[in-house]
Amino acid sequence: MAATVGSAETTVRARGVSRPWRFLAGAFLVGALLVGLGVGPVDIGVSAIVESALSHVPFLHVHSSLSSLDEAVLWQIRAPRVVLAAIVGGMLAIAGSSYQGVFHNPLADPYLLGVAAGSGLGATLAIAYGHVGHSGQLLPLSAFVGGLAAVGATYVLGRSAGSVRVVGSFVLAGVTVTLFLTAIQTFVQQQHSNTLRDVYAWILGGFSTANWSQVEVAAPYVAVSSIAIVLHRRMLDVLSVGDEEAASLGVNVPRLRLVLVIAATAGTAAAVSVSGLIAFVGIIVPHTIRLLVSTSYRAVVPLSFVVGAGFLVLADVLARTIVSPAELPIGVVTAFFGAPFFAVVLRSARTMR
Amino acid sequence: MLRRSLVLVAALAAILVPLAAAKPKAASFPVTIHAANGDVVIKSRPTRIISLSPTGTEDLFAVGAGSQVIAVDNDSDYPKNAPHTTLSGYTPNVEAIAGYNPDLVVVSNDIGGVVESLQSLHVTVLLEPAADNIAQAYDQIRQLGAATGHRAQSTKVVAGMEKALTKILRSVPKSNRHLTVYDELDPTYYSATSSTFIGRIFKLFGFKNIADAADTTHSGYPQLNAEYIVTSSPDIVVLADTVCCGQSAATVAARPGWGGIAAVKHGRVVAVNDDVASRWGPRIVDFARAVAAVARKS
Amino acid sequence: MIELRDLAVRFGNTEAVRDLSLEVANDEWVMLIGPNGAGKTSVLRALCGLLPFDGDARVDGRDVRTFGRRELARLIAFVPQNPATPSELTVAEYVLLGRTPHLGYLGVDGRRDRRAVAHALERLDLFPFAERGLGSLSGGELQRVVLARALAQEAPILLLDEPTTSLDLGRQQQALELIDSLRSDGLTVLSTMHDLTLAGQYADRLVLLDRGTVVAEGAPKEVLSAANLAAYYGASVRIVSDDAGLFVLPTRR
Repeated sequence: MAATVGSAETTVRARGVSRPWRFLAGAFLVGALLVGLGVGPVDIGVSAIVESALSHVPFLHVHSSLSSLDEAVLWQIRAPRVVLAAIVGGMLAIAGSSYQGVFHNPLADPYLLGVAAGSGLGATLAIAYGHVGHSGQLLPLSAFVGGLAAVGATYVLGRSAGSVRVVGSFVLAGVTVTLFLTAIQTFVQQQHSNTLRDVYAWILGGFSTANWSQVEVAAPYVAVSSIAIVLHRRMLDVLSVGDEEAASLGVNVPRLRLVLVIAATAGTAAAVSVSGLIAFVGIIVPHTIRLLVSTSYRAVVPLSFVVGAGFLVLADVLARTIVSPAELPIGVVTAFFGAPFFAVVLRSARTMR
Repeated sequence: MLRRSLVLVAALAAILVPLAAAKPKAASFPVTIHAANGDVVIKSRPTRIISLSPTGTEDLFAVGAGSQVIAVDNDSDYPKNAPHTTLSGYTPNVEAIAGYNPDLVVVSNDIGGVVESLQSLHVTVLLEPAADNIAQAYDQIRQLGAATGHRAQSTKVVAGMEKALTKILRSVPKSNRHLTVYDELDPTYYSATSSTFIGRIFKLFGFKNIADAADTTHSGYPQLNAEYIVTSSPDIVVLADTVCCGQSAATVAARPGWGGIAAVKHGRVVAVNDDVASRWGPRIVDFARAVAAVARKS
Repeated sequence: MIELRDLAVRFGNTEAVRDLSLEVANDEWVMLIGPNGAGKTSVLRALCGLLPFDGDARVDGRDVRTFGRRELARLIAFVPQNPATPSELTVAEYVLLGRTPHLGYLGVDGRRDRRAVAHALERLDLFPFAERGLGSLSGGELQRVVLARALAQEAPILLLDEPTTSLDLGRQQQALELIDSLRSDGLTVLSTMHDLTLAGQYADRLVLLDRGTVVAEGAPKEVLSAANLAAYYGASVRIVSDDAGLFVLPTRR
């Protein structure tokens, strides 16, 4: 058995993302994007899409054979929708994986600390008092600020509740803030009963009004947030031995937790502000990767983004094709896949013991 | 002596009989109304009416019963001089309603069993729910007219509406009758099909509603896909989300990809007040008029 | 070289440690013994920066509170009594965690780190287990894995809190032999110990704590006396000393 130290170095390798999985995940995302771009109530063939895409590249002098209406449909309506679904899906999944690492709970989702309730309240206030429905800048901004404020309140409350080291106090603070803000939101809705449908539609989430300006708004936050989390993936593994041992290994646990929560929250709030509250992605995707690939966050974190992006793009395709040309709220699609998924997870967890 | 009494009686009769004949009130009550909550008997002319239905409020004032209305709910904003209160039609508080000591309450839905609760307090309630079609809308106006002692006026109002609608329909040239229409309820593209009340008005004009093909679940209010709307290129776009969500012809034209649709190109995007587009009272005429105005454009 | 002078650790109103002074010379193995609640664990945790304290705690002449977190972790490796062993990590990944103090904040492990891990795995005979999940290991194997992580930290000082907890007698001896053999690489060890006979067999010096302070210290045969054990443990024992070593035998009164 005695292996020399030299060859031992090669066996000692923390599981990052192995090459086959990298390829598979990448292929999944690219495939999803292509399907998203190619499918819709309007029939636009693949070759026409490629031609149209190339026609936008300078110096190639390729002319698109599509009518101006189809061009508009493809690049002004469908493409931004696919891109937005991808970045929102990736963000929610990676934020979910980050929260799961920080709170030692594989079922933590990105809404745990109150982002959902805060954004929901912000959106409700904008709809009720801003008379904006879903358009304009006020709604996303209000939802974003609401989400951040809620998590800020949770942090302050959780800190004051005791030692910062106690993870449970943050979760409880998050529950408290969520309940409180949800109660306010319900009250506002009752006072302005004409807002009921708009708010409900927003809560269910969707990409039905996606456009490039929404992509421009959300993308920077998602990019910065995701990159920050990816850089910290090794640290998430260190957290898995608990606060005390991590501290004895030289980690400033409260600060690490704060950095990760801020990064995940900012990105989630930005995603929620343009797409509403889409559930389950933050839990389904990281957990699937844990089951299929590896439980180390070196793999779970980056793969969550890629697979989450592809997943939500495909979910959106379903949302706009099942009852075409009508739409299903995307929250219905993700929940429809989420519930059976949990059942499978529970079963496999039991047989694993 | 007797002659003087006879003259007195004749004189009194000469005054009183025409008066009695001229006052229809004495003969109108009690009246039975066949409302949605069954047959409701109104014993005498109500003078303390509460309306928890915005459409009911419009109907009551249209038939001339405005002076008999003492309170309307917080969503009843038309006419402006209606006695506005904070009573809610969605979360009705029976005690608060009863506190006004009403002799007639008009509601458009029976949330939380409010009808029964009020009836158990011996308050007369008329349930006049959202109309399925225009005939029902007329019927409700007539019911409220009879219930408040303004039967003749209500008949006049309905006749006026019918006449106006006919005139408006005729004003749209036959060549424009086949146009396609998209009715927008909110900026996430929820729309109303031909099976809805508002959809039937479009049907009167003969328009084709693009939402019909999308209503696979028969809800009447499907959410349409943006691509579908754009490629259907509706000839007329009716915006019913102007007040809640700030939509207008300008915002529609600015939506990416929408600049090329027929309604935008030919200036047939009409912004209607949200309430006018959602109620089933006398203002459906205003709605039809607004739609006709753009339908006439070629 | 560890120096503790008038160390005091407080939990709310309770003083877990008070007026505690002791020294550990380089390459020495000192064991802290004492009855339950004597403060043994608190001494270790205070030393590696997990508990606030009053008084003096110095490593090589420098107050431990002046060290940065990572710097201190490169100096002191701490193995708690019940270490968390997440069942999904592999042995190699878990041992690699020991390299955390050597990597930058967002650093990635390099050849030097992998070599340290390989060295640790080899020393503790864990190569066959390198890719196995922690959840599939036995208690004894896990004990070795935990020690491997501490070894991978390449810290000159090793603090062990009850390293033989929940191990059977054979495994206890194995673990202690293992630690003893690691000392040949140059290691200062300060540990707490429950079993007094084993403590006497492996420690260079014993420090007996009672109610937060030192009541006896010195070579095992000096500290382990029937009188001491009766006074501080309230236990009735007989000390037997022969060629094989020193044995603490409980006697029934």
